[in-house]
Amino acid sequence: MRIVEKLRVLHVDVGGCEGCSVSIMRAYPRLMERIDLDISYLRNGDPKHDRYDVALITGGVCMNEPRIAEELREVREKAGVIVAFGSCSALGGILRFCRGGQTPRPDHRNFQPINSVIYVDYSIPGCPPTPQMLQSFFRYFMEGKETRLRLFRVTAGVKKLSGFDLIDDVVLTGLCVGCGACELSCPTCAIKLVDKRPTLIPERCIRCGTCYVRCPRASQILLGGVKK
Amino acid sequence: MTLPGENLLGQIRGVYLSRATDGDILRRKVASGGAVTAMLLYALEKNLVDGVVAAKRTRGLAGEPVVARTREELLETAGNSWNIVPFEEMIKARIEEEGLKRVAVVCLPCQAQLFGQMREFPLLEADLSCRVRYVVSLFCRGIFVFGAFINHLQIRYGIRGEEITNVRLGEGHLIIQRGREELVIPLREVFPYLQTGCLICSDYTGVWSDVSAGSVEREPGWTLLITRNRRGEKLVRGAEREGYLELRDGFHVLEDVLRGAKNKLERARENMKRLL
Ligand SMILES: Cc1cc2nc3c(=O)[nH]c(=O)nc-3n(C[C@H](O)[C@H](O)[C@H](O)COP(=O)(O)OP(=O)(O)OC[C@H]3O[C@@H](n4cnc5c(N)ncnc54)[C@H](O)[C@@H]3O)c2cc1C
Ligand code: SF4
Ligand code: SF4
Ligand code: SF4
Repeated sequence: MRIVEKLRVLHVDVGGCEGCSVSIMRAYPRLMERIDLDISYLRNGDPKHDRYDVALITGGVCMNEPRIAEELREVREKAGVIVAFGSCSALGGILRFCRGGQTPRPDHRNFQPINSVIYVDYSIPGCPPTPQMLQSFFRYFMEGKETRLRLFRVTAGVKKLSGFDLIDDVVLTGLCVGCGACELSCPTCAIKLVDKRPTLIPERCIRCGTCYVRCPRASQILLGGVKK
Repeated sequence: MTLPGENLLGQIRGVYLSRATDGDILRRKVASGGAVTAMLLYALEKNLVDGVVAAKRTRGLAGEPVVARTREELLETAGNSWNIVPFEEMIKARIEEEGLKRVAVVCLPCQAQLFGQMREFPLLEADLSCRVRYVVSLFCRGIFVFGAFINHLQIRYGIRGEEITNVRLGEGHLIIQRGREELVIPLREVFPYLQTGCLICSDYTGVWSDVSAGSVEREPGWTLLITRNRRGEKLVRGAEREGYLELRDGFHVLEDVLRGAKNKLERARENMKRLL
């Protein structure tokens, strides 16, 4: 019998709501055969290994917390591939609203996605992304189907995507085709198609980036490397 | 096996020329061979899906999104709508309210990308992903900016939007029908009235679909079907087995599709340079 090496995967949370971590836990039963997940919920103490194939990072970085930046750099050293899992980690997400002055952490004033600190290989938006998303990711990743994952690869190169970017880059530039993908994708109903063009309800947008990666034109802007 | 142009046309499993067998379908203003309607009817009647999200023509060129659950409702969706029919919140709400667990969607390539991605990469718990059983994409070269195109028809030919009874697509032209009159317009003339966003769209056949459907000029009255995976293949084959579809091999016309795809890609490249 041949023993197939499982992919060694480390999970690190640097400061989120735990929604993404729970999503990873929910995905795990179906991944167990192929990956060995090292997650704080399932162990006592420090990570088990010195090297990992993949690290899944959830949560955004408080820029005034050097310990977190340091931890991220260490994970980058240890892992072959870094995946920013969830909107906070990938794009800043709702953490972008932090302005400090609140208990218990009045110092939390400025959160950034992890690619502000380390190089990221794949960014997966979603608030939180579903367990099935992670399962699909690993399936394509392990099969080496890089073209299917290209959207997540290029998303790792940007720091912010939101309904505002969608309006600016696609609607105001006249590139919108009125397909409705953005409205159907928004988890907070921040987008409504009016006269076949999306309108944004600004205070509802949690900067999760889902609409942007789902829009056929915006995703093309991303894939073309034109997104600033 | 890699076929020529597979990258451009997406994954290909089978290529068929196909036609509905049901006279009821063919009597409607089907877009080409009525195969899309026939295949979906098979899925609905054999209980592979419990609803079909499609577009129903309202008047003239326009259509609106519907969820068809019966034969009659589905037959009413046969034929093309020449606007983009956004499948937005309202459709999602209906699918959820009516508790539909397995739906087929007919859409354009840009929308197939959404449904395909939703299924493969569900980013949200609220995604319809697990409910979308089949994604059927029509080939597409672009959608008109409605008002502008209708204005053009009225000014140049004196045809009003509501008088249009049917619109068909030929290889180099569009055929507009008003009652018994037919007006043939070269596509070159209508291209300026396409949506700007469509000019940078590079997907002709809908690479994210399970089955893509279009037509080729040298086989009038037939729908060209491209199946992309096992699921799509089973749908088409099943519809044939149960007598809903007439099928014959279509590989010999794939080069025509490839030509369409190449043209669209070239147009997109050219326009991206200017627009992005
Ligand atoms: C805007 C548009 C552009 C097209 N461009 C091309 C092209 O360039 N080259 C080519 O080969 N084929 C093109 N097609 C596809 C082609 O015209 C036929 O739709 C296809 O061959 C299927 O024919 P059928 O007789 O089997 O479909 P039918 O049995 O008549 O069924 C058509 C199905 O498509 C659905 N539908 C129609 N319009 C829309 C819409 N706007 N959005 C979503 N669903 C819709 C209907 O609800 C119905 O279910 C285009 C179609 C459309 C709508
Ligand atoms: S508009 Fe909606 S989907 Fe888009 S970033 Fe904002 S919350 Fe997310
Ligand atoms: S997803 Fe993009 S192209 Fe589609 S309606 Fe929204 S902004 Fe327009
Ligand atoms: S050309 Fe592309 S963007 Fe425009 S309607 Fe067709 S598939 Fe959608």
